[in-house]
This record gives sequence, C-alpha cells and structure tokens, in this order.
Amino acid sequence: MKLPFLLPRDLRALGVLGMNRRNAEFILPGNPRHHYPRVDDKLLTKQLCESHGIPVPQTYAILEYHSDLRQFRRLVAAHSEFVIKPCKGAQGRGIVVVASHDETTFTTSGGETWTWPDLHYHLETILAGLYSLGGQPDRALVEQRIVPHPIFLPLTKGGTPDIRVILYRHAPVMAMARLPTRASRGRANLHQGAVGAGIELESGQFFGGVCRDRAVTVHPDTGAPVAGLVVPQWKELLAVAVRLAKVLELNYLGVDFVLDAERGPVVLEANARPGLAIQIANRAGLLPRLRELDRGTGVSPAVST
Amino acid sequence: MNARHIVWTVTAALVLVGLACVGLRLYARQQARLSSGDSLWRITYKVKFYAARTGATLRVSAPRETTHARVFRHDIQYAGLLAQRLRSSRELSRELAFASLGSGPHTMTARFDLHLSPKDRWRPTDPTTPLTPDLQNRYLRNTDDIPTDAPLVLETLARLQAPPPTNIAQRLFDFCVHDLGAGDERAPHDVLTALQQHAASPIGRARVFVALCRAAGLPARLVTGLALEPSAASQPQYWAEAYVDKQWVPFDPSNGLSGDLPERFVPVTRDRLEIVRGTDISELETRVEILRLPPGPGASRFGRSRLGAIFDLTRLPLDMHEPLSLLLLLPLGALVTALFRVVIGLRTYGTFTPTLLALSFVYADWITGLMTFTAVLALGLTSRALLEQLKLLVVPRLSVLLTLVVLGIMFMVSALDYFNLTPSAQAVILPMVILTMTIERFYLTSEEDNPLFALKLLAETLLVGACCYGVLRWRAVGELMFTFPELHLFTIAALVLLGRYPGYRWTELWRFRDLKKP
Repeated sequence: MKLPFLLPRDLRALGVLGMNRRNAEFILPGNPRHHYPRVDDKLLTKQLCESHGIPVPQTYAILEYHSDLRQFRRLVAAHSEFVIKPCKGAQGRGIVVVASHDETTFTTSGGETWTWPDLHYHLETILAGLYSLGGQPDRALVEQRIVPHPIFLPLTKGGTPDIRVILYRHAPVMAMARLPTRASRGRANLHQGAVGAGIELESGQFFGGVCRDRAVTVHPDTGAPVAGLVVPQWKELLAVAVRLAKVLELNYLGVDFVLDAERGPVVLEANARPGLAIQIANRAGLLPRLRELDRGTGVSPAVST
Repeated sequence: MNARHIVWTVTAALVLVGLACVGLRLYARQQARLSSGDSLWRITYKVKFYAARTGATLRVSAPRETTHARVFRHDIQYAGLLAQRLRSSRELSRELAFASLGSGPHTMTARFDLHLSPKDRWRPTDPTTPLTPDLQNRYLRNTDDIPTDAPLVLETLARLQAPPPTNIAQRLFDFCVHDLGAGDERAPHDVLTALQQHAASPIGRARVFVALCRAAGLPARLVTGLALEPSAASQPQYWAEAYVDKQWVPFDPSNGLSGDLPERFVPVTRDRLEIVRGTDISELETRVEILRLPPGPGASRFGRSRLGAIFDLTRLPLDMHEPLSLLLLLPLGALVTALFRVVIGLRTYGTFTPTLLALSFVYADWITGLMTFTAVLALGLTSRALLEQLKLLVVPRLSVLLTLVVLGIMFMVSALDYFNLTPSAQAVILPMVILTMTIERFYLTSEEDNPLFALKLLAETLLVGACCYGVLRWRAVGELMFTFPELHLFTIAALVLLGRYPGYRWTELWRFRDLKKP
C-alpha cells in the first residue's frame, strides 16, 4: 500500500532537513543574533557587498524620512526603470518594479499603471514599517532594475527569476533557481507559487522542479521543460556566494542572485533563515551534505575552484 | 558541556525541583496539625429547581469568611448550567451565578469546606467599614420589609427612648429579646404584625430590631447565616448587625446574643434573606447539609503571621480562586500551542492568539464565543478592505480597526442579549488587541499570498485554540495547579525539551512527500 505521505524514517533515509532541526542545530548555533541585521537590512547587506567588491544592483536613492519623498520624482527622472524595496522587507513583500514612467504615471513590470499618489502612498507605508520584520519604521531603497539574462525567458512569466545558493560553513551545499509564475504574480518566491528548479552544484545545470511543494517537470505557465538549462558564469556565481558568506559571518545562509544580461551574477539579498523547499526542487535532502561539512571532510566542488 | 547536555541537565533539574516542591507541600499538608480548638466543617448546598427558559439564572451565596472561619476549598457540581463569574457585591454576599442552558429541571451542588478557629486567626475583611454616605443611606432606608416610618415603629421607638438610653442599640436589642415573644416559624415574620402581637419568628425579631435601629438613625442590616452544627437539613439563622462606634456589631435576638457571636455562626448573605435565589425559575428547593470533617490535609495551615503562607494559594479569598486557577492554566495553553507548532507543524496567527482566544471563550459557552468571533472578524475584514481605500498609515489604521473591533464586540454582545440568543452574552469579552492584529494579518496574508492560505491559517489558529479551550475548561487541572503551582516546573521542563526537539513536524511528512524515489 502506498501512503500519501512519508514516514519519519523515510525522511531520515532521504536526509531531509526539517524545520526544527534547521533552527535548533544550524541556525541558532551557526548564525549569531547580532549578525542578523547584516541580512535583514538590505541596505546594510548592500553596503557590505560594495565594500568587498561584490556586485550588487546600483543604488539610485535611499528614502528615509517623509520629506525625502518630495525628492523622489527628481531622483528617478534619469532612470527609465527602477525597483523600490523596503530595506527590512521579507518574502518579496512591498517590492515594486517600475518598468517605465513619466511625470505622473508609473507602469510596473506586471503592467499595472500607478499614479503618483498611489506610489507616494506605497512609499509612505514602506517608511511606516508595514513590510518590515518587526513593524519598525523602515527605509525605502530605490535601485537599478536588473535585466535578467535572456536564457531564462522560456521559464519566466513576468518578474525576474533568481538563483538561491545555500551555504553552510561558507561552502555551497545546494542551489536552485526560482522562476516567477502567474500565480506568484511575478515574485520569485516559492511560498507564493513560484517554481523552484534544482541546480547541479558541479555544472550549474537545471534539473527537476518544485511548485507549491509538488514536484514538477515543466513551467506551469510557459510549458517549457525545467530541466536542462545551464546557468552561465556558474563557477563565478558560486565564488561570489562564498565570498559573501565569509563577509556576513553567518554559518547557515541563503544568498539570492540575479543573473544580469551584462554584469553577470549580481547579489540581490541574503537570508539567514532560508526555506527548505529547495530540497524538493533538488530531489535530495540537505542533511548528508551538512553533516559532511560538520565532519570537515566535505569539500564542495565549487569551493575547490 | 555542549548545549544538548545543558538542556538535559536543566530539564532534569526542573523535574527534580518540581518533585521536591510537590513532596514538600504534601508533607507539609500531612503535618498540618490543627491548633487545639480548631475544627473543619463541610457545608453542602443541594439545590433543585425548574428553569422556565434557557438563560434562567440561579444565584447561590457562598459562606462569608470571618476572623474565625475561612473557606479553604470549594467544589461546585452543575450539569446543564453555565457558570459565570463568582461575583462579590461588596457588602452583600459572595455569589456564584449560573445560567441554565435549557429549560426543565436542574440540580446544583455546592460544597464549601471551612476551617473554624476560636482565635481571631484571619484578617477581618468587611469592606463596608468605614461606612460611606451611600452605604449609610442604604442601611437606613425604609422598605416594605423594614418599615421605618410606620406609626407603630415610631411609637415603639419613642417609648423605648424615654428616658434616653446611653446605648440605644442595647436598649432596642433588650426589647426584641424580652418583649417580643419567641415564636416558631409560624409566628409573624413581618415587623408590624410582630409588634401588634408581641411575638415574632426569628426573621421577625431580627427585622423588628433592624427597623427600630434604622428609625433611631442607626444603620442596621439583616444577616442570614448558618450555624456550624452537624445536620442533614440545617436551617438558616437570622440575626442583625448594627453600626455602632464605627463597626458592625452583631445582635441575635433569637439566641439572645450580642457583641460577639460564637465563632460557629457563619454569615452567608446580608441585607437579603435567601441564600439561593434565581430569576425565571420555580420549584426551588434548597437543602443545606453540615458535616464536621476529620482533621486532614488541605486546611489553611497558616495564620496571617507566617510568611510561608505566601506559597499557599488556597489561603486566598474564595473569589480569587477561580480567576487565579484560570491564569495558572495559561501556561498549559501555551504548551499546547507549542506542541502544535513544533511537533505537528500547524501555523497560527501570532504565538498566543489561540490561548488568549480560548481564555475569552471560557466564561461564555463556545457557541456564543464563536458567533461573536465570526461576526467581529467579518466586520473587521470588511472595514479593513474599506480602510485600504483611505490609504492610512499603519498606526492610525490599526487604531481605527481596534476601535471598530471594540464597537463590534459591544454591539454584538448587546444584540445577543436583546435577542436572548444565549445565556451569557455579557461574558464574551474577546481579546480585542489580539483580534485586531488577527484581522490585520488575515487581510495582509489574503492580499499578499492568497485568500485560501489566509483561511487555512485561520482554521489552524482556531483548531489550536479549540484544543487550548479544552485545556482551560478542565477545572480539575486548574484546581490541581492552584494547589500545587510548582507543577509548572514540569511545564517549563516540557517546553525546554520542545525547544530542542529536532524531529520532523508531522506536516513535513506531507510536505516532502514528493521526495520519495518512485
């Protein structure tokens, strides 16, 4: 008889890392609390990256006070497209991608048209802390919109796909690409319905996929097969991830990249509590790889480069 | 020593200390010897009545504590009734209120165990001294039962005041004892007939005394009480209290006692005759059994002078027992929530939302609670969607929402009461701040993720809340925790272990189901 779920011993055999173990054995001991702001505040992450020569999207403006909002239109006038992010936001909340704009209207990447009062209100709510982790007042980050590498086009429905690498003890252990879908409304967030595609660490090649915790083989909107694509500049991307992990001094870390058509891998943000669905995308558990690194014998192929 | 060892050591230490505390308390209770002359008594009320409708109320007055008597334990059995808060109307009585959940015959049994001492062991707690002007008016007032302005009363008083006595209360008391013939229950109960016939029942004598005192300008009140003597059907005792020299002095014309009553006289209710009363009920039968208990554990061992008494919660006044034992159940609610989140893997809006929702449902029946909750949630979500149009900043927006939630709850309670839908509309006071935050989170989740996910989270919150409700309703456990609060050391130990539980959550067995190689 086939059960509709797995038994704990199955999960153990597969080496699946559960939420409790992730928190108790990897995040709590590996990630000191006082280093959290380095990843929870996107601006701080960005400043750390810039000072260590790690590529990040170019910053156009930082809005901190209500009075800064008056400057906003003058600050973005020179840029035809840009992204607005809350510095302390989580799960892609509060991010607006403006694809084109004039004096009064702003068109988002999703095709919606926002008036200046709409956008002004959105900026106000960011500053008031609506999207910030603890509800604390926040800042709004206005930055360059990354033009995703065309190689991802068949696997994207609106929005920008990104690549997440999980690192443990500063070594890459697992990676996946997160491909926006119609359901995720352009956001590259698995929780909201984006597709996750497993990536072979050695080669950077896509295989398998996950959507809403179910294994998938094709993108639900475009129908293109998920497997097969090879991420360009893969070794470079992993090397950047390792460098960032060392800078952030976090033992268990997720780093999110966007592959810019011209600049190559660009760091979007880092996460001290990366999710576990990456295991479904990779059809493999994280635990054996983490244990290997704990024993000090695991040498990830990427680290040797 | 690594973290795991520390956790196990701490857990073991907590369990050991907990066991030691329980053992120590049990030992102390076993060793608790009654001082010589002290005795333990059990008063049992057996009440039968017929409720004319759902929501008919029954009010039962508990024995009042005196400097000689203290209730150290009570147990109330009520099937088909909904217990409401134990309320102390300041001076009158300490009443347990019940609402019937249906019409028809009902029974209720209330048991009170008292520790009686010939010494003034406990702090006197009469909240009516000193007498405020309000209370003064109350205890001087003219009523049908106590006619202070009837000519016969005034005439009698005038006769007794000539020549003016040095102690008017004593003079009036002597009159009631000597000049009013003692009668049995058939003798007149009412003041005027008693004065005409020069004979009165115990109630009548006490009433004549109160009427004369009040007519003379001396605040006075009737007391219904019980005399602690073994009896299968104890009759209430009636006496009076007059406010003399800034304190209440008892006068018992039937037994000819004044000043200090014997310590076995325990007052139950003041300024009102009935020990048990109700509205919309009929065929009310009350039997009071009084039993002398053998000396045993559980009596209040400590007087007010022993510092160790701080650790004995059972010595607290009776009306603090119920809310305090409920508070002592809250950690168990948190433990249930932690179990659900860590072991089962359910998610909830906010960590303590389920526990606090459950707490607010405890005093209501859950149907009333759920109706109010649903109505307020619906109102909140609708107004939250409308508020979105106004594009308000976070803090003002949440405050508007809180205001609407408060108003919603108030009018829902009012509506429930108006349509007489449930027996206890007044008891539904939901945790408003928690509810406001739940509405906000629900709205944001349904907007930013999807409504289905938001509903799922809500269902999971309510499921966990329902389990917490089960725990909070468990009165026996509440009483156990109240007697042995150190049992919460085990709760902490369990939480510490849960906090280090590395196993899979049940939901993960489902979540990772596709990982199985075909």
